[in-house]
Amino acid sequence: MENYKLSRRTLLKGAAAMAAMSAVQGFPADIFAGERMARFPEKTDLLLLTARPPQLETPVSYFKEMITPNEALFVRWHISQIPTSVDLNTWRLKIGGNTERELSLSMDDLGKFEKVVYTAVIQCSGNSRSFFAPRVFGGQWKNGAMGNVTWAGARLKDVLDRAGIKAGSVDIAFNGLDYPPLASVPDLVKSLPVDKALASDVIIAYEMNGKPLPMLNGFPARLVVPGWYATYWVKSLSDITVLSKPFDGFWVKTAYRIPDTPCGCIEPGSAPAKTIPINRMTTRSLIVTPESGATVKAGAPVNITGIAFSGGYSISEVIVSTDGGRNWGQAALGKDMGKYSWIQWSYPWRPEKPGKYVLMAKATNSIGESQPSGGLWNPAGYLWNKVEKNEVVVEREGA
Amino acid sequence: MKRILSISIFFLIVTAAAYSIGDERRITLPNVQTDLAPGAGKEKVSTLCNICHSVDYITMQPLGTRAQWAATVSKMIKVFGAPINESDEKIIISYLFEHYGAGK
Repeated sequence: MENYKLSRRTLLKGAAAMAAMSAVQGFPADIFAGERMARFPEKTDLLLLTARPPQLETPVSYFKEMITPNEALFVRWHISQIPTSVDLNTWRLKIGGNTERELSLSMDDLGKFEKVVYTAVIQCSGNSRSFFAPRVFGGQWKNGAMGNVTWAGARLKDVLDRAGIKAGSVDIAFNGLDYPPLASVPDLVKSLPVDKALASDVIIAYEMNGKPLPMLNGFPARLVVPGWYATYWVKSLSDITVLSKPFDGFWVKTAYRIPDTPCGCIEPGSAPAKTIPINRMTTRSLIVTPESGATVKAGAPVNITGIAFSGGYSISEVIVSTDGGRNWGQAALGKDMGKYSWIQWSYPWRPEKPGKYVLMAKATNSIGESQPSGGLWNPAGYLWNKVEKNEVVVEREGA
Repeated sequence: MKRILSISIFFLIVTAAAYSIGDERRITLPNVQTDLAPGAGKEKVSTLCNICHSVDYITMQPLGTRAQWAATVSKMIKVFGAPINESDEKIIISYLFEHYGAGK
């Protein structure tokens, strides 16, 4: 009977936020139009994008912390019939296809494999899509379709080795407990090339921050492909199928694709000549404090803080500008929790004169990947990593 | 048990519950309603689009061109198999463009 929880709450922070933000010139007000908050089971109050299937966004204030709490992590499902109950007595993870043997693993069985633990950023492919110009259709995320979580689970390779991948295998497909509302809607099945699936850091995670996964984040187990966008991190895993032919399901063959260009971008408004499946995350940073629209005092110290991460390479440098990009200085980097985690950074600032200031941050990773000053564009609204600008107002001392 | 509130949109949440007994975990999803703008075609949109997804999928989008809304409705029919006939397709596209389009 433990963990009984019943909560019902509807929040309308949106109205207050709109009123507060409307005072800030140049702020894209349409992003706040219709902003809603909702509390779903096992989750805290999150920005509600859609109810069915649920898409819930983390308010950026949670990114002041190194680790994103389970109840605050974003939620994103694709098809409406999502799992709302799982009985571990009957749940089994089936592994088969082009393998020596078929496996049907209980949670106890999964727990007997070596337990792998690390911290990794999870980020939706379409995070920050609402900032694209020209705007594109899709989930209108701001910056909150991401989080930094300590995952624990069994190495996918160890599980696949137990099943025995046969020679000639090409792709591995992953299916979860969610299913489509109509037979004509393609089930959400994703695939990884065999080489990627066998990488030692890909795990079947059954813990988030030391606890079971919330149902809406993929209870009882989800795939974790650190460094890659979350589209591959299939939730509520039920079936893993080894394939001797390339996977040709809709969600890989048609959806979640990026232009086959070095930047994954094309001329705004145009169509790509060729596309490839989205994969590794781009390098990005975010200013968390002071927030855009904040007011600070002239002559008083302000600590500009934020986070930075990239798709599987550590962050080597974050530079900060307080004058809209004319001058830059090095931010101090916080504790390094590994190449898949984000890193916190800080930059002390003491604005002398009242006025409007544009704060900017730009991260570079260990292989030299960085962030563009102008927004890159692609038709699906993926890979966003433009150098962010937080506009703040400096008031006269004593004002 | 119920609160109805509004910004530009009305919605309500009846309950959001979670519990686990032994090895079983169960949640109850909240019933969130989103109101669409009144106008010709609203009933078609409410009924047909709601088969697969809540209509906040519509209200959250940026103001689209007629071509963008037409392409989206076409995708729902051709790719996802939405049971929408040709005359309803036209009504739905017009409604979406009129109320959630860039032409206003």
